[in-house]
Amino acid sequence: MTVSKPSSDTAHLYDGKTVRSSAPSRKKAAGQIGAGSDIPKDAIPTVEIPTFIESLLGGPLVPKAKFLPPAKWVQTLQLVVYGVLVALAMLTYMISPPEGTIWYMITGSLGIATVLQLTLIVAATGTGFWGTFQRDGRFTLLSNLMFILAILRFASSKVTLSSDMFGLQDKPFLLSGLVVVYAVLLIMYFELSNGVLRYSMLDTSIRTNEVYVMNPQKIVGKYHRSLIINPIIAVVLATVVLSANSILPFFVGIFSKDTALRMEESVELISVYGVALGTFFVFCVVGGLFALNLPTHLQNFREKRAE
Amino acid sequence: MWSRKSAMLGSLAVAMYLLGLTLRNSQLVTIAVVIFVFLTWAALFGGHADVASSGRRADEWTGEEGVALGSVTAMRKLSSARIFEDGELNITLKMQNHSSLAKILEVRDRVPEVMRIKDGANYILMELGPRRETLIEYTVECPLRGFYSVGPVAVRIQDPFGLFHKEKELHVYNDFLVFPKMEDLKETFVKSRVPKIFTGAVNIRQPGPGSEFYSLREYFEGDSFRAINWSAYARSGKLMVNERERDAVSDIIIIVDSRSVAETGPVSRNALVYSTRAAASLAKYFLGRRDSVGVIVYGDEVVSVDRDTGKKQLYVILTKLAGAVARGNIPLQVVVNRILPHINKGSPIIFLSNLEDDPTIVNALRDFRARDFDVTVLTPSSLEFEFDARRIDRTGYEVMKTERDVLISELRGLGVNIMDWEPDMLLSTALAGARGF
Repeated sequence: MTVSKPSSDTAHLYDGKTVRSSAPSRKKAAGQIGAGSDIPKDAIPTVEIPTFIESLLGGPLVPKAKFLPPAKWVQTLQLVVYGVLVALAMLTYMISPPEGTIWYMITGSLGIATVLQLTLIVAATGTGFWGTFQRDGRFTLLSNLMFILAILRFASSKVTLSSDMFGLQDKPFLLSGLVVVYAVLLIMYFELSNGVLRYSMLDTSIRTNEVYVMNPQKIVGKYHRSLIINPIIAVVLATVVLSANSILPFFVGIFSKDTALRMEESVELISVYGVALGTFFVFCVVGGLFALNLPTHLQNFREKRAE
Repeated sequence: MWSRKSAMLGSLAVAMYLLGLTLRNSQLVTIAVVIFVFLTWAALFGGHADVASSGRRADEWTGEEGVALGSVTAMRKLSSARIFEDGELNITLKMQNHSSLAKILEVRDRVPEVMRIKDGANYILMELGPRRETLIEYTVECPLRGFYSVGPVAVRIQDPFGLFHKEKELHVYNDFLVFPKMEDLKETFVKSRVPKIFTGAVNIRQPGPGSEFYSLREYFEGDSFRAINWSAYARSGKLMVNERERDAVSDIIIIVDSRSVAETGPVSRNALVYSTRAAASLAKYFLGRRDSVGVIVYGDEVVSVDRDTGKKQLYVILTKLAGAVARGNIPLQVVVNRILPHINKGSPIIFLSNLEDDPTIVNALRDFRARDFDVTVLTPSSLEFEFDARRIDRTGYEVMKTERDVLISELRGLGVNIMDWEPDMLLSTALAGARGF
């Protein structure tokens, strides 16, 4: 509505009319509303057109939900994220020495690469902290991307440490174990930071009566159990998968010890291609199990066993 | 099904794996393998079975939802199958788990978009124990008339990290009807000028057996002594008797315009909403007076409810009005030509329309008036609805308002009792205005 203009008074148009019981406000408004013929801004409906990225992803990458102040269980999750974030930052620094980083490739200077790599890790940690504290998905996503960028290596290398406080460089098994732990921490960070948002959303929905949760403690308890059990399982299974090139000679050894010995000493098998080959072999087996519909059979088995 | 999160993690793992192989970097391969393991574990043991991608199905697996959801069933009960607008409906959903395993389920009972959840929730996250059932109760508010269905029930099961999920729609539907709400009318000022053979409660402005006073006349032999007006006798010295206005059953015809143009305006405030509410209120009032009421709803077709009396007729009319959908653009003249031979001469006709987008209105109503029908037109102004919703600017409003006023004046000139029914006006006020009170 625009401002009043006495010259555009139209109240007289209504004076002679038989207009019964109409709202006095309308008659008054008809006389007082300005003569501007522009469409009021609030008359245009807001149409949310998804961006190209949103169309590809089927929705916004980062939900723009507003949350109520965090409940205790969300605060606990936030605290866990802070802990994981600190551990992840330290491990990222340890296992990503400046050599081989994108910065070293671009600048060729170890000093600059060190500074940039450190800055990246600090920034990733900082945005992670802020995103988790504010429960803002944009910062969390940025932090995730920065951690991924920090760990990317653009050089042929075995695992090297920038800070080897425990002398792990000479113990290949512990060294690869450290990388596995790092990878699990990275995934757990992704999961937990996402979990903070998911559970904030759930908490807000519960408190605004959008959703009713029966026995929320039990549901949250299951999530907490998974947060402990799944990383342990992931560490064990990943170690087994990554050791496929060592396990393979063991099985071959049952039939031919000479061949097994040659395999153990083979440079190809202990190289990255050997690891990849072993992994590929394991995942082919897993893929085969899926092709045989193992999950359904497993579910059937569980259902029947429970009966 | 894969969630966006699992798809992103999977893509990241593939990218790292390939980059690691290309650059011969075992660190990247290791991280990729850990992510793969994490995803595989969630897919295998996350309390669901994602087998759709394998392209194979086990014989015992029925439906896309997998075994995990195969044993979940739902039943629903509604507190009523018929309610009035702004009424509340209590919905009770019973979820049953026939399996011997406990399941954590997300359940969403789909309610029509126009409904508002007033109490409880139709979206529930719960753990359903083995061979257990649970009742979910919630209340919805139904602000708009129509035929509605509640359902289906969407059930989802997912792993704790939300990486994979399985969904199932339980096709449990319950239909219900929302009647237009009615206004209590004390008087409509609509009376028939033509008697019918059965006496009823409607005054038809002719002397005869009835309850309302009509006039005084001199006493003739054979008049009942009970009809003598003793006060008039005392005043005039002549025996005077009271004549009463004849009561009779009237035929009332209500015509509702449900063309697509009738829905101009906001969903809850438009001519069709007002017209159906008015028709329901009028039908209730006339049927309560033991009149015979017929309703014609026209839009893309002419739907009529034959004249009848009684409570059953009210529900027949309400059902038709509840199902009136704004569609089509049949001119009024077509409706008039069709119904004219079937309605009794002099029957009151009440026409409810916003009078827009139909050049035959004047001629059609002239045809009614030419045959001495008592025509009352209540015209909810779409213009006001649009203006109130700020969808038209003031200049446009003024121009169209003037055009509308000209049309109304023209119809009034034909002897039609017409009222420009503004949104804030009560039906009784609009009727009184139309009849010149």
